[in-house]
Amino acid sequence: MLGVYDFCGHYEWTFEWLRQQGGEPLVREFWDAAIHQDSQWHAVQLILGKGFAGMQEYWSHTLAHEGAGYHTTATDQVFRIDMHACPSKGFLIRNGLEQYRDYCDHCMGWIGPLLRRGGFVVDHQHNHCGQCWWEIRHATDATTPSRPGELSGERDVRLRPEWELGAKPMDTYSRATDPDDKQV
Amino acid sequence: MGSGAFNMSELPYSDAKPVGAADFYFAINATFRFILQRSGSDGLRRYWTDLGANYFAPVTAAWKLRGLNGVAAYWRAFFAAEPGSDVSVRQTEDAVVLDVKVCPAIRHLREHGREIVPCFCQHCYFINEAMAKPAGLMVRVEGGNGSCRQTFLRRGPATAEQDLAQIKEAAC
Repeated sequence: MLGVYDFCGHYEWTFEWLRQQGGEPLVREFWDAAIHQDSQWHAVQLILGKGFAGMQEYWSHTLAHEGAGYHTTATDQVFRIDMHACPSKGFLIRNGLEQYRDYCDHCMGWIGPLLRRGGFVVDHQHNHCGQCWWEIRHATDATTPSRPGELSGERDVRLRPEWELGAKPMDTYSRATDPDDKQV
Repeated sequence: MGSGAFNMSELPYSDAKPVGAADFYFAINATFRFILQRSGSDGLRRYWTDLGANYFAPVTAAWKLRGLNGVAAYWRAFFAAEPGSDVSVRQTEDAVVLDVKVCPAIRHLREHGREIVPCFCQHCYFINEAMAKPAGLMVRVEGGNGSCRQTFLRRGPATAEQDLAQIKEAAC
């Protein structure tokens, strides 16, 4: 049986299996069709139905269930997540599992298209070490990303001493909704 | 989980939390549907077989070394980490039998009104068989759609093939 205890391991393995079957386009189609439009339809309902309040409700539930070390900040204009210890990337690192070239892209792969449907854009960075931040705003809001500490205070992940010390270059997304909007 | 003692170190990959997040069953079901729609039954069976032979290779290695003792220990630890399962694991001299009284995946998908891929329960046969075969073992599955029996045996020359008709289709 395929279980959920080690879900992130076989999920990540599946990305690479799909890439070998149909290249990167099939992986992106998987994140959009299978994860965004099928698996995560509870997130779709909450976020499209309630906007920022739905984001708070969805991520509070799911990140707590997954055992994440995270902080969220919500205002009328922006929803911010500071991920200090991503449970799924942490699982992969601890178990030495890396089949696909960048597991972290899967989040933008399903969340990006969902937010685009809701009229939102995302500023986001991940350091490939289980740490990232997201700022989600209405697409009509031209506000630039906050400075470190400005929105989430001392819980801003960018203030951690190891934030920029990862072996891989930081991935940056600016007003993005697509995993290929990445600026490395 | 009704089988008594278990040891999480029997699992090849370890997490910081003792039990998995049940909502991930949604993604497992959606993944099967995605591959089935794009690659058909043969493609989905190939995915399951590749997963069993590759991702689960550390489990196969342990079963090669320890035989049916390893099989029983693995499944006790496995179901202890699956939320909402009710499974007994019995070992005899010749077999390990999993009596799945409540399949945690089917239960969670049903509780949340998810459309379950009809051939969902076949994944247990194809993945487990791919794990077992290189260890000189085999699995035969009967039932499904929420409860089933999975029997692990030593592979012999007169072994009958799995009859897929013995595995029920899953439904909400």
